[in-house]
Amino acid sequence: MKYFVLAPEAIIVATAVVLLVATRLAWIRPAARRYLPAISALAVLVALGVELWAGATVSTYFGGGLVQDRFALFAKAAVLVTAAIALAVVDWTAEDSMSIGLAMPLFAAFGVMVAASAGDLVALWAGLELAAAAGVVMVSLRRPDLGLRLLVTGGVASALLLIGLAFLYASAGTSDLTAMRDVLFSRVPTIALAIPVFLLVSGLALRATLAPFHLAGLPASLGASPLGAGLLLGLVAAAAATVAIKLAGALTPIPSVYSTYLEVVAAVAMVGGGAAALAVRSPRARLAYLAAGQIGWVAAGLVTHYRSGLGGSLFLLGAFVVAATCGPAVMGRADGGEAALAGMGVLRPARAAGLALAMLSLAGAPPLAGFFGEFAVGAALAQSGHFGLLTLGLLGSLLSLAAAVRTLRLIYIHSPLEEARRGSALPVLTRLSTLGAVVFCGVIGGYGLFSNPILGLADQGAEALGLR
Amino acid sequence: MIALSIFAASPTPVPTVPGAGIFSSPLLLSLSIWVPVVAAIAIATMPNPRGRYDVLMKQIAFFTNLGILFVLFIAYNQFSSFLPTAQYEEKVPWLAAIGVSYHLGVDGPGMIMLILSGLIGIVSVLASLGVRERVRSYFCLLLLTQAAVNGAIVARDMFVLVLFWAAAVIPIAILILGWGGPRRNAAAWRLVGYWGLGTAALVIGTLVLYSATGATSFDSDVLLKAAVSPRIQLVVALAMIVAAATRLPLFPLHGWARDVYADAPIGVTVVVAGTASRLGAYLLLRTVVAAEPSAAHLLAPLVAALAVLTVVYAALAALRAIDLRQAAGYLSMIPGGVTVLGLAALSPLAITGAVLSLYSGGLAAALIVGVCATLADRAQSRSLSVLSGLAARMPNLTWLMIIGGFAVLGVPLLATYLSGVMTFFGSFKNQPVGAFAVAAGLALAGVALASLFRRVLFGAPNPDAPGVSDASLGETWFLGLLAGALLWVGVFPSGPKLPGTDTPLFDPGLINVMGAGVSEIASPYTLPNPSPSPSP
Repeated sequence: MKYFVLAPEAIIVATAVVLLVATRLAWIRPAARRYLPAISALAVLVALGVELWAGATVSTYFGGGLVQDRFALFAKAAVLVTAAIALAVVDWTAEDSMSIGLAMPLFAAFGVMVAASAGDLVALWAGLELAAAAGVVMVSLRRPDLGLRLLVTGGVASALLLIGLAFLYASAGTSDLTAMRDVLFSRVPTIALAIPVFLLVSGLALRATLAPFHLAGLPASLGASPLGAGLLLGLVAAAAATVAIKLAGALTPIPSVYSTYLEVVAAVAMVGGGAAALAVRSPRARLAYLAAGQIGWVAAGLVTHYRSGLGGSLFLLGAFVVAATCGPAVMGRADGGEAALAGMGVLRPARAAGLALAMLSLAGAPPLAGFFGEFAVGAALAQSGHFGLLTLGLLGSLLSLAAAVRTLRLIYIHSPLEEARRGSALPVLTRLSTLGAVVFCGVIGGYGLFSNPILGLADQGAEALGLR
Repeated sequence: MIALSIFAASPTPVPTVPGAGIFSSPLLLSLSIWVPVVAAIAIATMPNPRGRYDVLMKQIAFFTNLGILFVLFIAYNQFSSFLPTAQYEEKVPWLAAIGVSYHLGVDGPGMIMLILSGLIGIVSVLASLGVRERVRSYFCLLLLTQAAVNGAIVARDMFVLVLFWAAAVIPIAILILGWGGPRRNAAAWRLVGYWGLGTAALVIGTLVLYSATGATSFDSDVLLKAAVSPRIQLVVALAMIVAAATRLPLFPLHGWARDVYADAPIGVTVVVAGTASRLGAYLLLRTVVAAEPSAAHLLAPLVAALAVLTVVYAALAALRAIDLRQAAGYLSMIPGGVTVLGLAALSPLAITGAVLSLYSGGLAAALIVGVCATLADRAQSRSLSVLSGLAARMPNLTWLMIIGGFAVLGVPLLATYLSGVMTFFGSFKNQPVGAFAVAAGLALAGVALASLFRRVLFGAPNPDAPGVSDASLGETWFLGLLAGALLWVGVFPSGPKLPGTDTPLFDPGLINVMGAGVSEIASPYTLPNPSPSPSP
């Protein structure tokens, strides 16, 4: 029964593999295919139920390679909720392949789950690469050229990470995160530690499409299908952020080796993301930059190297991953340009509300999930005296808010185009996708309402990383 | 003088109003926030094929606001005017890990702000009855704005205050973008920019205080009553002044005011001028005057200077405006300047006047922008070179515009007179230059108003002007309500009494209700030189 805690991972992987194999071998009749999204979402919900029921047990597996603690519980629950909503809300007529479209988000979710419960550097890296590989597949389905570009830049990120992790292992003498933390308590920050950490931060920033490292990831996400874009912007970035939080937890005894890099990266991401979101006209590009801005807030929380900061980052990560993954999926095919969204509020009210809430949440607008997360990070920044970074973050949020209001005007104020009235430019209506959009709105709106237990769990998650 | 003697006195127990105690709810303040939200959700989700239920949506918005006003009036009646502490408190842990609680409550100033918000809510719906396009979205956003303003008024936790303070920006900006006049884009973006800056300042001020007090709680009772160093007080007070100046607005952070007041739809203009902008002065009262006495003393000359600059600038700008709605927008900045002068004077009488002017100034600003917008609508032009000699053809609007103008100036029998007199009498000792300059600014505003009346109302009729018509019933009602509320408090500041007794009729009196909280706020300033708070 000890390994029952890993049942959610097993369900997710099994569902993904069965989907791929069954479709490849034509086991599923074409008429039955329309039930696949609902069945997949249901499987994810079952995994979520098992995780919430059995995941509270704190234990280690595979000789410490995987750890089930509060951090893992929080991150896994967040990613499973995200995956379930994303699969439900997708407009499958805008996707290139249903079976791959269903399987890849599950593999990416599995990657985040592995990274979240990683007990050593190898599992961390493996989880991140698994999530990133799923992203490459999704992008390549529609745009092989962008897939190749993503593969190359992903390779660079992977190389940077591997070198950084190897140096870190060499410096600490162990790959176990808890043991590494204990060893680093007796070390002083040296250049030999600062260099690998710099490489790590760069690699993770590439993976998370953090400005100024977004130049490869963002174009790829813009060329992918809606679900592919959500996968890259949300799940892969969340995997990178999860790895960053776990590494920051291990490196807290010597924060000076990473806090300056992170401070710069976070500041550039927050302000640059907001400014770029305001400047671009494509709705999906705007959403992507808003996501880049908010992941900057997640990085800012790590700068504090306090429990409250890491807890705030984890709390915000939960809000981020839902909005950034499901936002493009909710938008569906209405991503051609600003005009494509005109009047969406009239023609597709549930999806329009979902898109509006995703944009506002990523911009940090109250009273949505992103606001609560950013405020928690802001409180931690104030507590640690990082008022400069806090001010830049607020500036970025202000720019992001203006960008989100521009999109809201399109959705709710502008009249629909004739083409949109005929329905060809808007997501196809299905019961499942409408239900998914409604649930998505509920999650984004209710995150703040139920933020006490959620932030409490995130705080326990930060405590599980050894922070007091 | 009679009024002065009433106001200068400390609050006294007021006999119970007939009917008090018939209604009690532990969620009274939550109702004022969440009922509009629920109504907005209902409007947003109800089916409306081909606009069939547009009228029903307007009715939902109207009766929601009417219900809230009724509940608030009961709360006002049952308010214990001799208790200096917050009443109708609700406190539930929210984000316990960082010390946030859902803490609501009102004292005297909060109660009168709530009553003002309830009145403005009804007025804004009445002013919006003419909306024909995208009715669902309009009233949904209007109700959300109302909820955000109410939430900011009753917040007793700084996180809750930040949340509602910031939440008002988005619906107002979209309302302007969707239903505004020709310069709606500029108006909306300026509003987002300035109010966003103010929100950032409020967040920074709050977090500096949070950090300085040990990062344990965002509760106002903890944060605003903690003994922090004068340096921290100064930083926090400066941040709060920036936040207040963007919202009220005060010169030089008034950049949004002209375009928003000139180009927002009438209902939205009324809400912004009446309550949303008053939150700036309310914030200054709560977080600087009541909480940081050392910084308030140190920054009083700066605040007084801002008040002077605002009043003088607004009067001069109104004098040379060529657009009626822009002129009204500038004139609506003047009551805010008077309020801030009272807050800069830091004497009990001036603070009392400033608190009363939150209410009276809000009504006066809403009335002047509302009546000028309606007049421009009815005259089919807003250009002062076109509008002329309208008094004979618009008798109702003429009367209402005159009352609005007088209310801005603070003419006797109107509530602004009482607040103005108290503010100036309380300010001449502590801020003599400021008080004199603001008075001079008011004189200039009088000139601007006289010029406006002469040109628009009593000049020779313009034969080339488009056809005009007087206010409709709905417009007369909403403007009449504002004028009536100003007159009511001007005539009965302590509420009407049963003849020959001290027993109040249905109204316990605005002065009595606000008095208790004001005496608590003004207590640090009763001595000539209050000692600064000790360093931690």
